[in-house]
Amino acid sequence: MKKGMMLSWLRLFAVQSSWNYERMAAIGTARALEPMLRDLPGGRDGARYHEALGRSVGFFNSHPYLIGVAVGAIAKAEHEGVPAAQIERLKAALTSSLGSMGDRLIWAGTLPFASGIGLALAATTPWYVGPAVFLLFYNLVHLALRTWGLQAGWRDGARVARALGAPLLRVGLSLAGPMAALAVGLAIPLVATWLGTGVSPLLHTAIFGVAAVGLTLALWLAPALGGLRFGLVMAAVALGLGTLWP
Amino acid sequence: MTLDLVRLDDRLVHGQVVVGWGQALAASLVIVMDDRVRQSEWEQELYRMGMPPHMSLEFASVEEAVAAVPRWLCSSQKTLLLTGDVDSLVRLVEGAPAIRRVNVGGLHQQPDRRQRLRYLYLSETEAEQLRRLAERGVEVSVQDVPTARPIPFREIP
Repeated sequence: MKKGMMLSWLRLFAVQSSWNYERMAAIGTARALEPMLRDLPGGRDGARYHEALGRSVGFFNSHPYLIGVAVGAIAKAEHEGVPAAQIERLKAALTSSLGSMGDRLIWAGTLPFASGIGLALAATTPWYVGPAVFLLFYNLVHLALRTWGLQAGWRDGARVARALGAPLLRVGLSLAGPMAALAVGLAIPLVATWLGTGVSPLLHTAIFGVAAVGLTLALWLAPALGGLRFGLVMAAVALGLGTLWP
Repeated sequence: MTLDLVRLDDRLVHGQVVVGWGQALAASLVIVMDDRVRQSEWEQELYRMGMPPHMSLEFASVEEAVAAVPRWLCSSQKTLLLTGDVDSLVRLVEGAPAIRRVNVGGLHQQPDRRQRLRYLYLSETEAEQLRRLAERGVEVSVQDVPTARPIPFREIP
């Protein structure tokens, strides 16, 4: 394994900790990249290290779970002495493609899929099975993506498109949306039935309370939650209240 | 008209565009207009990786785009054109006056740019170029995602 890669991998978990609209994920990405730059010729006092680090704090964004691909690829490009202008263009192209892939793979795929399966199991099996399966599956996916991404990026450098074309990833991308729809479609009737029949009065009251607080929060946050997200929150709250109204 | 969106966005093909605009407009073709990307095979390959299977992606130089606008306008395929810099956008609209509307999506921080909106940073020159475009009767509206309210460019600070 490349020197510094383990530390870079750990830092990938904090990659959004200084996210802002000016540079988006740039600072977190630079921090994750830094350990892999330490062995550039000249070391930490050398010009190469300083120039590479300086370059890496300019505007950059990606999906947080796929940033490892960018970190690995940029580190490799820096080690290979790829010209600065080309590294900037690599970052721009990665911002584009990793962002779009991550949105489809995670936010529109893995997360709703895992939630749907978790909810369906919560409604039909002992109480701990649903949450456990949700946490296990969701975390496996993002841990695998971070680990694979960093290694694949480092292996391919500026030719990282090859890694992003990996068959498993392509299959995942094309299945993510339909699988999520399937899981949510399975979960809704099961959960509605469970809420209507299988819940003890105490839990019933507790869920009702949570739904009421959620409604208040949703109305309060309405200006900050744009369009779709607000719609989803309201739909969830409406579903909760509708099922629970005594 | 089926050139449904002409958008200025320096992230070119990203989630907001593919998931947000692509779905809202039911677009099936995305054109990335950028003279440098047009020349670079490895960059094109990376941008292609971000596309969902039901949308196709083509690359054009500004000159090629100007020549292709009439064809896009009368094609039945819903098309979305993206460009990452103000110069290219102005050259496109000057070359193809049939384009009456442009969308300003996101331009991000650079040393000579000033923040105008959360997602919009413009240098004085770029702001002036867009202002002139608007004065010539092109509808220049600023809007990051389809669910947001479009803001006419003259209202941008």
